[in-house]
Amino acid sequence: MKRSALAGVVTLFVLTAGCQSKTKQYSLRGQVLAKNEAANELTVKHEDIPGFMPAMTMPYKVRNSAAVHEVQPGDLIAADLITANQGKDYWLEDIRILDESGRKTAKPAVTRHALQVGESVPDLQLVNQDGKHFSLSDFKGKAVLVTFIYTRCPMPAFCPRLSSQFSKIHEALAKTPGDYEKTHLLTISFDPKYDTPSVLRKYGLAYLDNHAEGFSHWDFASADPAEMRKIADAFGLEYFEEDSQISHSMDIVLIAPGGIVARYWATEWTTAELEEALRQAAKAAPSHTSTGRLGVKR
Amino acid sequence: MVCMLGALCWMFAGCGGTQHGQELFDLHCADCHSEANPDLKKQPPKLEGLFRSKTLPSGAPATDQQLRKTIVEGLGTMPAFDRRLSENDVNDLIQYLHTLK
Repeated sequence: MKRSALAGVVTLFVLTAGCQSKTKQYSLRGQVLAKNEAANELTVKHEDIPGFMPAMTMPYKVRNSAAVHEVQPGDLIAADLITANQGKDYWLEDIRILDESGRKTAKPAVTRHALQVGESVPDLQLVNQDGKHFSLSDFKGKAVLVTFIYTRCPMPAFCPRLSSQFSKIHEALAKTPGDYEKTHLLTISFDPKYDTPSVLRKYGLAYLDNHAEGFSHWDFASADPAEMRKIADAFGLEYFEEDSQISHSMDIVLIAPGGIVARYWATEWTTAELEEALRQAAKAAPSHTSTGRLGVKR
Repeated sequence: MVCMLGALCWMFAGCGGTQHGQELFDLHCADCHSEANPDLKKQPPKLEGLFRSKTLPSGAPATDQQLRKTIVEGLGTMPAFDRRLSENDVNDLIQYLHTLK
């Protein structure tokens, strides 16, 4: 008991110390579902990480590439999850394999980013915050920045961060009309059951400071579940629902004015970098672009 | 030691909803409501002393019913916790929020 009490005190001390330093350390325990050695990344289905996030499945960067090589999909692992920069940066360290017996039954690693850079965006159907149907290919003539969220996502480093970043980009572009009319933002929810057009409208207005006219430059859309799967597959987005929450990867796609995939971001980006890439891509757009979306059926 | 007692308490579920409410708060709320996060479009309000005021940060009356609505449906950029927290979870969370001075 004395020893445990001491351990408790030490834990408290570590937690307190962690609050004051720039990085925090958490214990992660879970099963590896996929790995990407080129990116030094493991996709882990993990248990609750008290103080950081509930149980979910998501990709993690690993600082030690040898560990990524050693670990196989299906393995049960324990690791230290280090976060820095208020949870924006996070990675795994000190990976311990607890059980290798799951290796044979593990699903093969998921291939991400089905559409290659340079390929045309397919004619996938979406419904926006006004209930209007449109197609991904309707935006030809504009540079489009696309990301994926679900409105109930509670983790500030994930969907709320993506929407906040898009909001900043939207505001910045609004100050340069030339770029504003040659660009478009598209936030796609992979939770069509909950994120109906009216839910998306409410969500969008919160990020548009209640300026509904902003929807002409930034659509919040979803698709029926089968179509949403096709959209996710097209862009390598991974998501699945479990225990009333949705585990998902974070992906941003830049579509050039010709309707071709120009660039992906999957783990690291800054708002400034996204804004600059979107502005650069828009330079290829025809300068006579009229206001409003090209070809979108209103 | 406090930690240990807390854990024991939690294991035997003897401390009622407040303890559970705190667990839920740490897991679902603290990330946004306890420390400033420059990444977020709007800084979520701190929740200490929530019930000392007659109104919630939104200006709505500081009642359990109003708080429940905010938690379940979301408000502005705050996500809805609908289908994520059970009715009992929300009750425990509200009970815990009452203890935040």
